[in-house]
Amino acid sequence: MIVADKKPIEEIIDMVKGYHKILIVGCNECVTVCEAGGKKEVGVLASALRMYFMNEGEKIEVDEITLERQCDHEYLEEIRNSIDQYDAVVSLACGVGVQFMAEKYFGTPVYPGVNTCFMGVTEERGVWSERCQGCGQCILDKTAGICPISRCAKRLLNGPCGGSTQGKCEISKDLDCAWQLIIDRLKELDRLDEYEEIAPIKDWSTERAGGPRKVVREDVRQ
Amino acid sequence: MTLKEKIASRKFVVLGEFEPPKGADFSRLTKSANQVKGRLDALVVPEMANAVMKAGSLGGCAFLNAQGFETILQVCCRDRNRLALQADILSASALGISNLMAVSGEDIRFGDHPQAREVYDLDLMQLLEILSNFQGGRDMAGIELTGAPAFCIGSTVNAGAIGGALDIEIENLERMVEGGVQFAITTPVFDLHRFQQFMKRIDIEKVAIIPTVLLLKSAGMARYIDRNIKSVSIPSEMIREIQKAPDKLKQCIKTAAELITHLKEMGMAGVLISTVGWEDKLPQLLDAAKL
Repeated sequence: MIVADKKPIEEIIDMVKGYHKILIVGCNECVTVCEAGGKKEVGVLASALRMYFMNEGEKIEVDEITLERQCDHEYLEEIRNSIDQYDAVVSLACGVGVQFMAEKYFGTPVYPGVNTCFMGVTEERGVWSERCQGCGQCILDKTAGICPISRCAKRLLNGPCGGSTQGKCEISKDLDCAWQLIIDRLKELDRLDEYEEIAPIKDWSTERAGGPRKVVREDVRQ
Repeated sequence: MTLKEKIASRKFVVLGEFEPPKGADFSRLTKSANQVKGRLDALVVPEMANAVMKAGSLGGCAFLNAQGFETILQVCCRDRNRLALQADILSASALGISNLMAVSGEDIRFGDHPQAREVYDLDLMQLLEILSNFQGGRDMAGIELTGAPAFCIGSTVNAGAIGGALDIEIENLERMVEGGVQFAITTPVFDLHRFQQFMKRIDIEKVAIIPTVLLLKSAGMARYIDRNIKSVSIPSEMIREIQKAPDKLKQCIKTAAELITHLKEMGMAGVLISTVGWEDKLPQLLDAAKL
């Protein structure tokens, strides 16, 4: 899933200051799972904003809605008839949802209510960590299902580096060395001989370095 | 008189572009630079122009500086992060390079290593901020430097922008000037009427505009540029003259020389002559332009 973190309330207050009526829009997908932008967080943010502006003696009307997704036309269309009532929207979706909303409702200011962080997993409630950088050319078959691009601090394709100590990365004693994990799992799978193969120089053109990306599937296109 | 002093006093400067080689043999660079020794105010050494891998600007400048040429270093955001950029700028200063041009760099996909990962840790305006901090004796982290470098700083400007794009270009140039840019080198100029329209928007008191004069090699090259490079337009009459000329090279040199003369008469701060590999034709061109 896409993992996001809450934005400090002060930042959101600065964004919406001066508006009289705003809509806070949550998303029922990834940001709900990582507890940053679902229905619950929409309610908490709306209350916090109402309270802040009331204490400041400013009148602001804050409405709430949570859509099934903000990265698909059909769900974003659900607010088409009401969007013009609002001076601005705060979207608690990931950056994808914020942008899709802004594209769809061109004349309405749309502000981000979360910081979008990475594609990752829920290690335990309250702990999410990165697993994928979307490089566009998956090599997990070669690395025992552990991605060195997203999990090695230096993104080394032929690791580990000299900074790996007792299975930990030099940048933090709390961070596993991705290459130690790869070696351990190759051993477990009895495939350690694959570690001897030197990974070729990577083609980064399929990663973001190659410019904004698009997937077009003619077989499913309508 | 240094380039910086000439630019400050708006004396007409003549710059030449000298591409470092794709390889370790720099002898051709020396040979072509020596052919015009004393006739150019400074040599611009591009940093992997068009994202084609070759020896870098810092190496080229240091090499030419050691042989007595004043050079202009290109510092490019594409391939280096903030550490590498700062390190190179300090190294350049220590090597005696006193002029630099901050550039964004062409996209990696246009070059010969399209699979590389571009950097763009900093953009052009942020790079200028570093340079400004440096001249104040501090690095980007605010830490005091042992010796502050002092450069004559330039950048580039798209003189071929039109409409809304021109408004943005002018605004960006103004921001760059506020960021410390003293000279701006333009995209190649062929259409003087269009260039005059661009110049009407510029406050030449604030920044020295140095148009690029590109030495064409053939009518085919001219047609290709005119059709495919949005920021450059070449008058059809100019292309026709090259096409019908019995001696095409002579006509190309005559065309470039006339452009230089006109730009000088227009009161420009100077010209950058770009020969795209034809550095050996520079003496003829300078003769024709009476420089």
